[in-house]
Amino acid sequence: MSGVKAASCHGGSTAVASPPGTPVVALAGNPNVGKSTVFNALTGARQHVGNWPGKTVDVARGPWRLPGDRRAEVVDLPGTYSLVPCSPDEELTRELIVTGQVDAVVVAVDAGNLARNLYLLAQLLETGRPVVVALTMVDTAAARGLTVDAAALAERAGVPVVPIDARSGRGMDELGAAVAGLLDHPHAPVPPSLGPAEPILAELEAAVADVPQLDGLPGRWLATALLSGDLPEDTPEAVQAAAARLGERLAAETGDADDDLWDADAALADQRYVWAHEVLEASVRRDAAADADTRTDKVDRVLTSRLFGLPILLAVMWTVFSATTTLAKPLQDGLASLFDGPITSGANSALSWAPGWLDGLIVQGLIGGVGQVLSFIPLMVIMFVLMTLLEDSGYLARAAFLADRLMRTMGLPSRAFLPLLVGFGCNVPALSATRILPNARQRLLLGLVIPYLSCSARLVVYVLMASIFFGSMAGTVVFGMYVLSIVMVVAVGLLLRKTMFRDVVHEPLVLELPPYRVPTVRVTAAQTWVRLRGFLRTASGIIVGTVTAVWLLSSISLSGQAFGKGPIDDSAMAGISRAVAPVFEPLGFGDWHPAAAMVTGFVAKEAVVATMAQTYTVTEPGDNHRPGALGDRIKATFEKTSGGHPTPAALAFLVFLLAYTPCMTTVATQWQTIGRRLTLYGIGMQLVIAWVLALGVFQIGRLM
Amino acid sequence: MTVADCAPGSVVRLRRIAARNGRLRELGFVPGAVLRVLARGGTGGLIVAIGDARMAVDREIAHVIQVEPVAGATRPGGRAARPAAAS
Repeated sequence: MSGVKAASCHGGSTAVASPPGTPVVALAGNPNVGKSTVFNALTGARQHVGNWPGKTVDVARGPWRLPGDRRAEVVDLPGTYSLVPCSPDEELTRELIVTGQVDAVVVAVDAGNLARNLYLLAQLLETGRPVVVALTMVDTAAARGLTVDAAALAERAGVPVVPIDARSGRGMDELGAAVAGLLDHPHAPVPPSLGPAEPILAELEAAVADVPQLDGLPGRWLATALLSGDLPEDTPEAVQAAAARLGERLAAETGDADDDLWDADAALADQRYVWAHEVLEASVRRDAAADADTRTDKVDRVLTSRLFGLPILLAVMWTVFSATTTLAKPLQDGLASLFDGPITSGANSALSWAPGWLDGLIVQGLIGGVGQVLSFIPLMVIMFVLMTLLEDSGYLARAAFLADRLMRTMGLPSRAFLPLLVGFGCNVPALSATRILPNARQRLLLGLVIPYLSCSARLVVYVLMASIFFGSMAGTVVFGMYVLSIVMVVAVGLLLRKTMFRDVVHEPLVLELPPYRVPTVRVTAAQTWVRLRGFLRTASGIIVGTVTAVWLLSSISLSGQAFGKGPIDDSAMAGISRAVAPVFEPLGFGDWHPAAAMVTGFVAKEAVVATMAQTYTVTEPGDNHRPGALGDRIKATFEKTSGGHPTPAALAFLVFLLAYTPCMTTVATQWQTIGRRLTLYGIGMQLVIAWVLALGVFQIGRLM
Repeated sequence: MTVADCAPGSVVRLRRIAARNGRLRELGFVPGAVLRVLARGGTGGLIVAIGDARMAVDREIAHVIQVEPVAGATRPGGRAARPAAAS
């Protein structure tokens, strides 16, 4: 029946919907341990990135062919330092593992930084889920004088340990065999012994064993989580009280009684590190060179120094900005004119047999819409490649460290500087770049403020309007728009953090600086492709649909003339604009011409000037500095609508244009990155803010 | 003394974290850990080596990491010299 059909249509090209019963293997690990390289090596290009059902956290999934023709689905969990969650990403990792939604866990462990990686392993062992260690960065560690004995590590940790090199594929078969072995004969690992905490853990574990609300959660993990204050939902009060009592006892037995900052969580963390160091002592041989400065330390002495750090950061930022603007622009324009020119005329002549409406639908609607989607591809590719390079080389962490102070004064997390910077070129890649923030709530918050960044498409309109209305002050007005844009980003960010995002609190910066690495072409290409595909899949439908709708509206004649033949001021578009125009009356530009510009500006700001020109039926001015006839007509309109105050009305027009929805592609990308509900919320908020601000500008300006 | 008072190049032992911060503990900032100050950023932050990792902390964090001088030879990589706590 229809259900079967639907299933087959979802299968198709993505081919990741694994048949029911396929074992699920989670790939876990600290950030910066080469986890994404491992994931790419396991699944190739067949991966698929998307929100975990019911969560705002993106995870990549893909099929993994194990030895013996077995199949498994790998879930690439967000990088995490701990199973006691600090962010929604870490919450997802913990939830999937402790509730047994995965059949086995592969944990990527960095051979060059074993102590901290073993801390996470200790917590994974406490969950009792089957675990295999994939030992990464073995060569890098060896080059630094650290030799890890995998057999000794496996013996001390009590789990299989497979040294791998995902780039060359070495060890991947052995990893598959180890996982297949665990899936065939699952057995719970032995949790690390936590010294003085043991009797207390045993007592608490016994106390929660028969509590129905906590049924199905691994006992040992539950005991540690309760002591750490990480209480599962529905924890009965009696259990909470027991955990609190035992926690106090543990703190008193292990630390200074007068130190009120020493608690059970601290004691457990401390004991896990004791275990980690014991395992480390038994399995790692250190040369004398291991404790000397690494090459990374030497590079960092320059890249993070007081003298050179900020100039180098500014140079990198300038490069990113130019690449996403000046480098991308000609490519974008080239693709756009290819669609407007040869492809459109080619399609027109190929469709000469077709009735006018069909020709229009295909050429102006579909081809126009597809052209707009495709014209974004160079920009997005450049953006995604740069993002991957900055991330994988290790520089992004340094940049975040250097930009921390500035971003903090804006009330945003330090890594947000990259999306914000890119947003001044174009909001679309900026939204995609929010992925580099480690915290999902921060990503949502940033996704809501990015549209207030004044992108280059809006600049064209500022220049036109400013040169018409402000003469020699034009430059100042355009600059003022950018200042206002930054003020709005900060103010809206602040507003959101005081209301919907009260949980996004200022976090002091503790940031790992991973060793510098040369990014590989393969990983960069794979990451870029996955991200680009995600963008195209979500954005294309919305964009093609909207462009088609605009074409349809401008082709329908209200006075009954033939389809597409009537004058523009007689079209359904003009009708809608006339209906919308009264909304702009208090703002000083309640006329259908500017209203139509705002309506098409919802689709793309590039269309605003063209719409103005079209509705006044003059050709688009090639030189914005001499607006000529178009300028005179716009001026006349604003003179009339503003009751003799065209200047504040023009300012109000610009402020509205800056603050409301940037374009359909931004909406489509928001939809993909922050979800439907918040996207709609964001659109509403922008319209309200734009209207109120423009109202203020006009009404106050009128009095001056 | 906090790590904020330490000049680049100094090697110190962590005594106590004067704040509720579970994240610091998970990253290895536990009592007894040996830290080596590598660099100071222009805005008051620090880069420290802890074990084989390099961590950047801002001024606020640097001021809650209480440390003491390490007596005798040290190994930045481990906590072998740590008293008592190990089983």
